[in-house]
Amino acid sequence: MATADRPLEWYKAAPLHGILLGGAVFFVLPLVWMVATSLKPLDQTMRVPDSVGEALLGTGHRAVIDGREYEVTLERPLAPSPPSGDEPYWIVRPSEELLAGEMTHPFGPEVWRKYPIFNAEELRKMETRIGPEMKLLADRSNPFDEAAGVLRLRSGRKVKAELVRRVAPAAAGDDLWLVREWRPSDTDAKEIGSTAGDLTRAWAVLPESEIRSVVREIPQNYPAALRRVHFGRSLVNTLFLCLMTVCGAVVSSVVVAYGFAFIEFRGRNLLFGATLATMMIPFPIVMVPMYLLYRELGWVGSFKPLWVWSWFGSAFFIFLLRQFFLGLPKDLLDAARIDGCSELEILWHVVVPLSKPVIAMVALFQFLGTWKDFMGPLIYLGNRSQFTLSLSLQSFSSEHGGTPWHLLMAASTVFSLPLIVLFFFTVRTFIRSVAMTGMKG
Amino acid sequence: MRRSTGRTLTGYAFIAPWMVALAFFIGYPFLASLYFSACEYPPMMGPLFVGAENYVELARDDVFRQSMLVTITFAVVAIPLGVLLALTLAVMLNSRIRGQSVYRVIYYLPHLVPSVAVAILWMWMFNPNFGILNVVLRPFGTAAAWLLRPFAALDPGLPGWAALAAVVAAFAAWRWLKRRSEDIRAPEAGGLRSAALVAGIVFAAMLVVAAAAWTGPDDIKKLPSPGWLTDANPFPSKLSVAPSWALWALIYMSMWGVGQMAVIYLAKLQDVPVELYEAADLDGANWWQKTRHVTLPMISPVILFNVVMGIIGAFQVFTEPYIMTGGGPEDKTRFVAMYIYDQAFQYQRLGYASAVAWVLFLVIVALTMLALRISRERVYYAAR
Repeated sequence: MATADRPLEWYKAAPLHGILLGGAVFFVLPLVWMVATSLKPLDQTMRVPDSVGEALLGTGHRAVIDGREYEVTLERPLAPSPPSGDEPYWIVRPSEELLAGEMTHPFGPEVWRKYPIFNAEELRKMETRIGPEMKLLADRSNPFDEAAGVLRLRSGRKVKAELVRRVAPAAAGDDLWLVREWRPSDTDAKEIGSTAGDLTRAWAVLPESEIRSVVREIPQNYPAALRRVHFGRSLVNTLFLCLMTVCGAVVSSVVVAYGFAFIEFRGRNLLFGATLATMMIPFPIVMVPMYLLYRELGWVGSFKPLWVWSWFGSAFFIFLLRQFFLGLPKDLLDAARIDGCSELEILWHVVVPLSKPVIAMVALFQFLGTWKDFMGPLIYLGNRSQFTLSLSLQSFSSEHGGTPWHLLMAASTVFSLPLIVLFFFTVRTFIRSVAMTGMKG
Repeated sequence: MRRSTGRTLTGYAFIAPWMVALAFFIGYPFLASLYFSACEYPPMMGPLFVGAENYVELARDDVFRQSMLVTITFAVVAIPLGVLLALTLAVMLNSRIRGQSVYRVIYYLPHLVPSVAVAILWMWMFNPNFGILNVVLRPFGTAAAWLLRPFAALDPGLPGWAALAAVVAAFAAWRWLKRRSEDIRAPEAGGLRSAALVAGIVFAAMLVVAAAAWTGPDDIKKLPSPGWLTDANPFPSKLSVAPSWALWALIYMSMWGVGQMAVIYLAKLQDVPVELYEAADLDGANWWQKTRHVTLPMISPVILFNVVMGIIGAFQVFTEPYIMTGGGPEDKTRFVAMYIYDQAFQYQRLGYASAVAWVLFLVIVALTMLALRISRERVYYAAR
């Protein structure tokens, strides 16, 4: 049961490992999903992944359109089952202007029924002009007469057009897809939904065999995401607050804890009891008067409400440090006192060097607290240029109602990464500090 | 005497910063909010004393009642679940198993993700169409729904009574077996053990059937892909005080952060003296008896501490619902801390917000006292 050298018998260990691994999946899966989503293109977040590979990797497609290779998105399959050779599609270039609404189904009737983007009514109202410089897709409901070079429209009007290519699937089972050029700017939320109607993009109808799957280069979402959350500015703000609060919390709490631990004075126990009791006061209680106090001081809208308090000590850290100080050998302090050191000298030359681990712990806790804080910045900061990372990320998410998930996940990853890296460098301090949190019991 | 006065002065000099904090950042706001709670506080003006008016309004405020209900429901479900989960993890990790430190790191990782990122990440996890949760759940949910649908149509009366009878029978059988525990381990009692196992499986199946019949087809239809954060209906739908799907989602999410508690428990478990287990071994105690009579009493102070902190924490839940649901659907995730924030900073009703905060504080104190009282005889303090 308790730590012993002999490991558990395998038949007891195996089910335990099973349960623990299952638990580990529950704990790690969200993080994996976060990183996986951050590497995907937008269109891939908007469909249910077919395979584990597709769920985890940012996959894209490449295809040759008009002799040049493009990165493409698969817009939709044109022919769920390949039409026979005598029902081909034609890519044509009209020589006169026409309206998109004049075509019955720009992409064929059965496709239209299966993947409706616009209904017929909406389509009829569409005023998109298709000029001679653009290509069109014709099918059997808007047939193209190859011999005469004439495209027949729904209205019965005949338009002269030039054949670019005749498309038919090479073999049975080789579906035709409508593909469209993908641009890096598509990762921006502004572009969402606009690619479908963008006829200036390169597009083509291709059999599936001509489309190659590729793993998207990893960082494409990241620059867009960081730009959108104003990362640089927010990072500077957050780091500034972290620096101020960590320094403040360490300096003030060490001094106060020294007072509580090593100097006997009247009322000490009472005050220390009061200190512990304040840990029970929930933040919402003091929120309103604190806000009014800071408003009176003219600090609302500045960083001051978020760091000044830390220079006056914090109950939990004082408690943590005092408990540690009490465990230090008293003889050392007495010796220093006999040598004529003042209390501040003892603190600096004797206590601080011996307490480095616990001081590191306090610094770490405060750093985490400030880095993660959301409610404080939400209440006190109003100006975009002052936003911390928490606030920037939240405002980006609320502006877009959470559609650009790939960007949100990229930003969240970057936001969490420093803490995780820090954690791996300081696992020992971390785990020890967490264990100490339970000490109060 | 002079020396003692000098020490006192030095002492106060050292704790002076904290005295300032105690006075201005804690004491003053604490008392001031009590005063403001009896005031109207119009914007651009000072506080106007109105007596108990805010509290009278509170008593009639449906949204406030709803937010209190949501918060308490969350606390009542999430805290015991969290403690149970963390304890289970810690006890399993504390057995002599390889890779303990790796598991510990994995379970701790979620605690490092900032809460805003957690909220956004889980909004994506809970996305009804493309979130990984529903993508993974869909096949299982579909299978479960297919299996359970015939029972859902049943009148809940019959399977309900059957399940009740099953529980009673299982309990009686357990008592009976326990009384004969000397025989039950003997090889010739193998048939009896198998019979007990089969009976247990049958009882469990009947319970599932009864639960399916009782919850009815509506819940079962949702199983393949629940709407999570958007669904205001309670689950199970027959029980109107049960958490809504949206609240369940938040509870589920809060379980993700339970690793930190597990690490605390694990540290405490490793402090339990080995001699206690050795003594228990000599007395022939089995695994469960050791856990029940040695491990749990030894770490009971930490459990109590975590429960109290959990209560205080539940009443401060803000970031997640604020970002993920904005309090909706139908106020089913409007936690009370969020209500206070809204009243104070959205509607500028600072006095009313203070009154809500004070009611909240009194509820916290009452619940903490309750927890302490319940635990008085159950918590064991070593060496005190």
